[in-house]
Amino acid sequence: MAVMRIKKVRNLGQKAAPYLLILPVVIYYLFFWAQPVVKSFVDSFTDAYGHFTFNNYVMVLTDANFLPALRNTTLIVIASVALEFLAALFLALLINRKFPGSSIFLFLAMIPMALPSVAVGAMWKTGLTTNGWLNSFLHYVEIFSGSEKIYWLAGSEWVMLALIIIIDAWQVIPSIMIILLAGLQNIPPESEEAGYVFGGDYLTVLRKITLPLLKPTIQTAVVMRLIAAIQIWLIIVVMLGFTRLPVLVERIVYFHKEVPGLDISSQMASGYTIIVTIIVSVTALIYLKISGSSGPKKKEG
Amino acid sequence: MASKKKRFNPYKLANKALLYIIITSVAFTILLPVFFLVSLSFLTTRDSYKFPLPLLPSLTSDYKLEYGERGYLLSIFDKAEEDYATVMDTEDLEKMSIYMEARLGTPTTIEEIEEQIARLETRNIVYFTKKIDLLHNFKAFFLITNDAFPALVRSLQICVLTILISLSIGGMAGYAFARYSFAGRDALKFSVLFVRMFPGIAIALPMVVILIRIGFYDNPIGLALVYSIGSIALTVWITASIFMGIPVTLEEAAQVFGATKMQTFIRITFPLALPGLAAAAMYAFLGAWNETVAAIVLTQFNPTFSVVVYQSLVGAVGQVNLAAAGGIVMAVPTVIFTFIIRRYINQMWGGMSV
Repeated sequence: MAVMRIKKVRNLGQKAAPYLLILPVVIYYLFFWAQPVVKSFVDSFTDAYGHFTFNNYVMVLTDANFLPALRNTTLIVIASVALEFLAALFLALLINRKFPGSSIFLFLAMIPMALPSVAVGAMWKTGLTTNGWLNSFLHYVEIFSGSEKIYWLAGSEWVMLALIIIIDAWQVIPSIMIILLAGLQNIPPESEEAGYVFGGDYLTVLRKITLPLLKPTIQTAVVMRLIAAIQIWLIIVVMLGFTRLPVLVERIVYFHKEVPGLDISSQMASGYTIIVTIIVSVTALIYLKISGSSGPKKKEG
Repeated sequence: MASKKKRFNPYKLANKALLYIIITSVAFTILLPVFFLVSLSFLTTRDSYKFPLPLLPSLTSDYKLEYGERGYLLSIFDKAEEDYATVMDTEDLEKMSIYMEARLGTPTTIEEIEEQIARLETRNIVYFTKKIDLLHNFKAFFLITNDAFPALVRSLQICVLTILISLSIGGMAGYAFARYSFAGRDALKFSVLFVRMFPGIAIALPMVVILIRIGFYDNPIGLALVYSIGSIALTVWITASIFMGIPVTLEEAAQVFGATKMQTFIRITFPLALPGLAAAAMYAFLGAWNETVAAIVLTQFNPTFSVVVYQSLVGAVGQVNLAAAGGIVMAVPTVIFTFIIRRYINQMWGGMSV
């Protein structure tokens, strides 16, 4: 009897073990993730006196900076995903082979993404001021003569947007290139060779074999980029200050931290927060749906 | 690509040349801003206001001292102008000493200046050379920037706490994902991924009130709790794939020899998983060290180091060389850790479908 019971307890223990192991994560997420998410959702429908209202959203949607913020964010996301991605793919396809020094090169390419956003901010802020290193560099390579300078940060809104996109591209293209290179190197060479054997030219093989095989990597890279690009704000604030080139997350920080005294600030901040949350969540959900969250794959072969 | 014979092939040569041109220009574009940031962080304040900026910091400064109208006339040799430039004319040796340290990067005591002045008795002009303290910007950043040092300590505390929380909680779940199949496994995995992708600001903002309630607002523990949300998700992911890579047969063999489950884990599984766990810890460090937006929202009087650097950059930058030094202090640990875990980063993207 006793043996039987011990066995039973053991079996029960076996069954319970995975749940006991994941229990801390579940509790943690209920308390520190689900609770704030629900709270932020409730907050966005609550006015300053604790009553239900749609007014927060009305205020956000009619805010003079809302449409510019949405537009700028959208443009940054499009540029980030389209332009940076195509450039990275182009580079990855060109570089996809072993060459002397390739490991050093790959590490170099990791540096921009490894840098904290404030360090990147320091880099470009010191670079784009009138007496900064970029003007100095242009002077050294004799594109400029004498004391000729470009006032980088004094341009129009579109110039600023382009600058931000270029800075972002500097940081992101190398890392997407690495990701794509890693993906390319996982493609068995036979599959591409087969394409050539059957008479395909480079573009056909690329379109019909390489890119489809690269699709999971591309999907992951694009979505991670999308989600990050939607939330770009720090580099903009460091370069241009608040409100000059409004974007969605910058608005949240602005209302929460820069003008905390106004009685509309917290409502505005929570309204903007929900908008960002919805955009990011929908992106993430669509992606997870498409890629089918299959989990870490067991190593092949 | 078609022919594999070793013959002179102009197409192949051009191809190779193109490859190297591209690689060089990409490397150059990546390195140029990095180079200038590093160089700027070593420049003296005087040099950092020059246009064009000197490409490299100088190691020494040549000074000229003579009698001036108001006292002693101090000049410094300007390498770009190839001539001495007067920097000050004063009797106040203390002022001169401070100026030589703060603006010119050459710490010089009043006694040392007096020594040079003594040499002036016998001649009209005294020339002398001082070594530039290359770390002066870093020292000055911590001296001048209010709160920089305590903020650095806080940031490190947050990183350690985040690593502890996410490795213990996330590592357990990762082990469960790797070794057991149970109802709700896929749903849970899905939610872990979703949490990972969730915008940080959307957690940080409502967290203000929650943290105030439990007494951790404006406190390293509060930030570590918030950072652990994303970091746990990543740790579950990484550790699951690590434990999957360790054959179950090893664990079973140990149990055949009479080891308990706990002993097996401690003696067999854990040591094998250690390098991967270290990588997961470094990931957690990178996330917590770099994070800025939640830190801005969730701190008031006790900012993290990244917030201190951020604040030194917003608005008109006081001294660009100090801002650069702050940026470098932020960047050094991340570049080192990224270098250590570079293999895992590549694996993450290449060998894993998220």
